[in-house]
Amino acid sequence: MPATEATPAVTVENLTKVFKGQFGRKAFVAVRELSFTVQPGEVYGLIGPNGSGKSTTMKVILGLLAPNQGHTQIFGRDSSTVESRQDVGFLPENPYFYKHLTGLETLLFYGRLCGLGGAQLRDRAQEMLNLTGLENAAGRRVGGYSKGMLQRIGLAQALIHEPRLLVLDEPTAGVDPAGSRKIRDLIMAFKDRGITVLVTSHLLEQLQEVCDRIGIMAHGKMVSEGRLDELIAVENQTEIVLEDASPELLARIREMVDTESGKTKLLQMGNPRTTLERLFLKATEDSSDVS
Amino acid sequence: MKRKLQALALLLVLGLVKLPLEQSATQSLRTHGLLSKPVDLSLRESLGQMGFAASLGGLRSLVASIMYLQAYTAFENVNWAKVDSLFQVTTRLQPGYGKYWEEASWHMAYNAASGYLTDKKLRPAIRHQLARDHVRRGIDILTEGLKFSPNDGRLWVELGNIYARRGLDFLSEAWVTMDAKKAGECYLRGFKNGALPVYERLGAYELLKAGDDESARAAYDILKRNYDHSARTPGLIHNLKLAEERLNIPAGQRIPDPEPTPVQRRR
Amino acid sequence: MTNRSQFPVPGSQFRAFSPARVWTLATATVTQLVRMKILVFLLVFSAIVVAAGFAFPVMNPEQQLKILKDVSFGALQMFAIVIAIVSTALLLPRDLEDRTLYTILSKPVPRFEYLIGKLLGVLLLIGGGLIVMDAVLSAVLWLRQNMVLAEAIHALEHENSATPENIAAQTAAVAKQGLTWGLHAATLAIFLKSAVVATLALMISCFASSTLFTIVITLCLTIFGHGQQMFRDYFFHGSMSAFGEKIASSLLAIICPDLGLFDIVENIINGIPATMPDLLNMTGMCLVYVVGYMVVAHLLFVEKEL
Repeated sequence: MPATEATPAVTVENLTKVFKGQFGRKAFVAVRELSFTVQPGEVYGLIGPNGSGKSTTMKVILGLLAPNQGHTQIFGRDSSTVESRQDVGFLPENPYFYKHLTGLETLLFYGRLCGLGGAQLRDRAQEMLNLTGLENAAGRRVGGYSKGMLQRIGLAQALIHEPRLLVLDEPTAGVDPAGSRKIRDLIMAFKDRGITVLVTSHLLEQLQEVCDRIGIMAHGKMVSEGRLDELIAVENQTEIVLEDASPELLARIREMVDTESGKTKLLQMGNPRTTLERLFLKATEDSSDVS
Repeated sequence: MKRKLQALALLLVLGLVKLPLEQSATQSLRTHGLLSKPVDLSLRESLGQMGFAASLGGLRSLVASIMYLQAYTAFENVNWAKVDSLFQVTTRLQPGYGKYWEEASWHMAYNAASGYLTDKKLRPAIRHQLARDHVRRGIDILTEGLKFSPNDGRLWVELGNIYARRGLDFLSEAWVTMDAKKAGECYLRGFKNGALPVYERLGAYELLKAGDDESARAAYDILKRNYDHSARTPGLIHNLKLAEERLNIPAGQRIPDPEPTPVQRRR
Repeated sequence: MTNRSQFPVPGSQFRAFSPARVWTLATATVTQLVRMKILVFLLVFSAIVVAAGFAFPVMNPEQQLKILKDVSFGALQMFAIVIAIVSTALLLPRDLEDRTLYTILSKPVPRFEYLIGKLLGVLLLIGGGLIVMDAVLSAVLWLRQNMVLAEAIHALEHENSATPENIAAQTAAVAKQGLTWGLHAATLAIFLKSAVVATLALMISCFASSTLFTIVITLCLTIFGHGQQMFRDYFFHGSMSAFGEKIASSLLAIICPDLGLFDIVENIINGIPATMPDLLNMTGMCLVYVVGYMVVAHLLFVEKEL
């Protein structure tokens, strides 16, 4: 965990966002007195069901929407100012880029919008293509990219100007397990390099592996927040996994627990289950080895 | 909401501020002849909705050309009333374009007039009246056109042509001079407004035919000046001689008689 | 990837206005619109010009050339106005729908630069198209002018009246209706008009909810704009009895730009020359409209919820 700087990467204070109703419909409160901070260098996951206000919060942080109350800051700067975006890279949910541009041209376009140019930009664009595994697709039109490739080019454009903060809105939505794994590996790599990441998702298993802290939103409010391992640890339970244990050993362990005084009891003993994702990845890796 | 109200306020302020600027710009461009006055609302019926809208929308010249083509078709179909009405619309759309006035008057004073004169299905009195009326119509068209373009030499020349050649002798049904004095004056106006030099001489010839002393004097001055400074065509010499006779110019001031033209005998 | 810790303080490289950013957005807009098969229209236009130049052989030389110019400039105007309205109306909604707008505005790009970039892109496209079409028209007109002059001189020779005077007069008459520098001024006027219309469309798209709404409203304002001189005359000089009529005319005079100011094509075709002060006059008015409407557009766009 990198050393905490004095200024948080993201500060959200008493944020309220109301969308006015049209044609007599009631106004909709998307976010209600939301407050949280994201420390520099950490990966913060904002989770919640559809309609909980996650995307709205992201858009306010990025200055795409104006709050009705409260304020948001990026590294101490008011996030509604244009300068604050110098240090932010954003990957929206289901990103779409100009279809007629190639992957490389897309990165050059966004790089120029960030003030980069010339050979520096070209080098940087190539670096991002290599990082996201798109070097072979750089000359193809983005209109022909798969969903996973679109997400990766989206990541590349978000990183083109070396931002200190990455905001990722549902980065693995609609992406296959292999693609999701790549994206999660990238997030871990960003974290190792000291980039702060704010990520939203409603795919909980995926966030579990990457996040340092989690905020759970529902109906526009933060209902729970804290460090991931603290939130999901079941404190009074212990898990031991053995390989090639004999039945006699297992019987002895069971006996030891039974004879232990106090409230200790054996809840479960049996073969642990892998995840469907791991099974998928192993199967696809094995089939690619065979071919 | 605040910005929307600011936007609306700015739009209204901009709107008010631009009005005098627009007036001034329009006036300046109209003075330089680049902008015409708006199309008259009374043309709406003649042009139809689309034609009127197109005329307002900067396509006035195109609409005029289309009306002209329709007039040409009516001419081919020998429908003189339609030719006249279509040309009325065309000239009102582009009153500054002399060619439309010229052709409109040509169709009336020449084509329609001759057409009616030679129409044996009509009684002679009717034929003569119609022919004369259409020649008069041709004159009226050119006169109206000259109100918009008083310096258009071509229109003056065409008017001169009608006065010189489109008088009708009822007995012989032949085209004769209608009004030599007016013809002469028109030719001279044409020359002053850029028509070919020949029209100055033609103007003098017509003035000489007019018969009065004042016209004869004016003709003599023009012809003498041309004789002294430019080509001495046979027509010029002949008419100058006539003018000298008419005005009793002293012998010492007269031009020498031309050399007789040798007669060539056929073998 | 490089270590970020030595990097400068965030925001220090940011420039409040960057021509490079505007140009990047403009060129992306041009390529985006070229995908809309604008080039097909250029080919159609060229076909119209050639047809107009050779379709009416029975006309006298002046009329042949006039009709060629009338039809060609009519097509030029239609192209410029239609592209100005439709392509501008599509830009913002498309970027919004595709979420491209999010990725652009989440970069350090001020909203006013986005608008300027989009407008500049449309104007580059219209301007480029007009230049090409002007060149095609000039070439065909030059060709046709020489052909009709040769036919006219031949006709004079046939009538034994091919004197130097008559030939000079015929040459002058044909030249007046032929290719002149003034015709390029007419093309410039069409460009200025389309710039105003494009800015109007962009302004309306900043608050409109759909492309169709933007197109319809802009079209209405364009139509009214051509009659704005009449409304203005009523405003300044008219004596209308009905209060409602006066209010309606005044509102239209205030809201609509005077697009009739740029309708010098007709008189240019008739041979009236356009001087530099005239062109500056029109350009000045165009700038007043464009700058004014863009400021309004920015005020509307700044508050637009994305």
